[in-house]
Amino acid sequence: MDINREDIKHLADLSDFALPESEIDVLGRNLQDIIGYISQLEELDTDNIEPTYQVFEMENVWREDEIKSQDASREQLLALTKEEKDHQIKVPKVL
Amino acid sequence: MKYIPTIGIECHVQLATKTKLFSEVDNDARNKEPNSCVSPVDYALPGMLPRLNGEAIKFAILAGKAMNCEINASSRFDRKHYFYPDSPKGYQITQFYHPIIGAGYVELPSGTKIRIEHAHLEGDAGKLTHFDTYSLVDLNRVDTPLIEIVSMPDIHSAKDAHDYCKELWRLMTFAGVSYGDLYNGNMRFDVNVSLAPEGSTELGTRAEIKNLNSFRSVERAAEYEIVRQSKLLDAGEKIIQETRGWSDDTGKTTGQRSKEEAKDYRYMPEPDLPPVNLSADFIQEVAEKLPLMPADYRRKFGDSLKTEILEILLDYPELIRKLSEVDEKYVVTVSNLFTSVLLAEEKSAEYLNDLPTAKQLNDLAKMNEKKELSSTATKEVFLHLFDPQMRRRDTEVIAKELGLIQENDLGALETIVDAVLAKPETQEAQADFRAGEEKVIGFLVGQVMKESHGKANPSAVQEILRKKLA
Repeated sequence: MDINREDIKHLADLSDFALPESEIDVLGRNLQDIIGYISQLEELDTDNIEPTYQVFEMENVWREDEIKSQDASREQLLALTKEEKDHQIKVPKVL
Repeated sequence: MKYIPTIGIECHVQLATKTKLFSEVDNDARNKEPNSCVSPVDYALPGMLPRLNGEAIKFAILAGKAMNCEINASSRFDRKHYFYPDSPKGYQITQFYHPIIGAGYVELPSGTKIRIEHAHLEGDAGKLTHFDTYSLVDLNRVDTPLIEIVSMPDIHSAKDAHDYCKELWRLMTFAGVSYGDLYNGNMRFDVNVSLAPEGSTELGTRAEIKNLNSFRSVERAAEYEIVRQSKLLDAGEKIIQETRGWSDDTGKTTGQRSKEEAKDYRYMPEPDLPPVNLSADFIQEVAEKLPLMPADYRRKFGDSLKTEILEILLDYPELIRKLSEVDEKYVVTVSNLFTSVLLAEEKSAEYLNDLPTAKQLNDLAKMNEKKELSSTATKEVFLHLFDPQMRRRDTEVIAKELGLIQENDLGALETIVDAVLAKPETQEAQADFRAGEEKVIGFLVGQVMKESHGKANPSAVQEILRKKLA
């Protein structure tokens, strides 16, 4: 699979981050290398093998539906955000 | 040209679990301060792991069974990636590849069956409020459990779209999996509408109207969209596949500006959540708790109640359930009291939470049947069954206390009638009646009622009067 400049711009768009022109080629090459490395796996025959979704073979890890008090308070959590206003997280205008 | 509309509906139902889908915080954010029901998991802080709420799995089984759906023995979660401030994770946890609820159908009151393609569990997003230069984010609703129900394109009129949504609301509330509080967005509908020329085997291009929150808006938006698309097609224009918004105020749908690029959610299996594998025994054990559904009540009461009455009662699970406890022969009387008296009361919503006992209702209907209570008195006693001072007492005790028991004793009634006929002020009326003026009988009955302090049975009085004046 070949990664071109458009793919990189598209991915940056999806994640909504600004990507300087100068970095597009570098990132493209890096991603191409990663994909190339991973595609070695395609040499294996996986025709009759179930996809692996997870490696721990756990299932049905559920919890009770009970409200528990949280370790972190509302104020502590809000303090982690860049900017808050009226107990809400303030972000640049969207839409 | 004549067009056949085809409508498919996606419905998001908020589940009434105590905690969220993946964290142990309060799931009921109504009237709560912003960001007061949020955990580090909801903030997607590094290292936080989602933990699946087992109750949501049980609710999904009940919801699926309510819609006659297969429950999939194995289901799992996936990440749906998108970047938006309403989702700190940068993705929504949903079930894209292996949903918990498989195919089924919903039967409308008309008997039309709408097939369900599938339904899946997912977490909701946060709430954004937009201002001039910034937006505010409230994460209270993040990962509130939702079931998204996807119908097949089996709906062909705005009316059926309305009925389908309403029936879903009934199924979810009867099954007890959602509060069904539409005002607070407990159910939201996305409606896909397309038109195809009559006789065509291919579906037309569809427009999707997003985020409707009432049955009425669903119906109006679908109606509008059918007309809009017909006009475009008649004019030889093409329908654009797009998302449209609906305004209740203008009664119109309008195209919403959307990004050029096709959606690219880059779905991938959610590695933090192990799969859900359900044994047939477990599914059955949960499914057995499903109470009677609207279709069951339609079968049960279809012969005794008028369709309109039955459909009204089906909007109030408490009423139809109570009615099921009432003696079969009193079902009609009690259902009329429910629909024409109780629901007309200002406080009816409050009353629904604490209905009279089946015995109180049976006794009331019986007293009405035996004419011990006039129809007016029956209504009055019925309302007193909700009176905090009286409600625990027997119906008869309340009726007596209110002095509403009708005098049916013919001997006693005759004495009263004689007394009235002896009064000088009734002489003229008596003469008029004998002269053939039929309607003065009403005046005379009224006089007797007054004399009896309203307790006489009017039809018995009239009979006695007619005999005496013959």
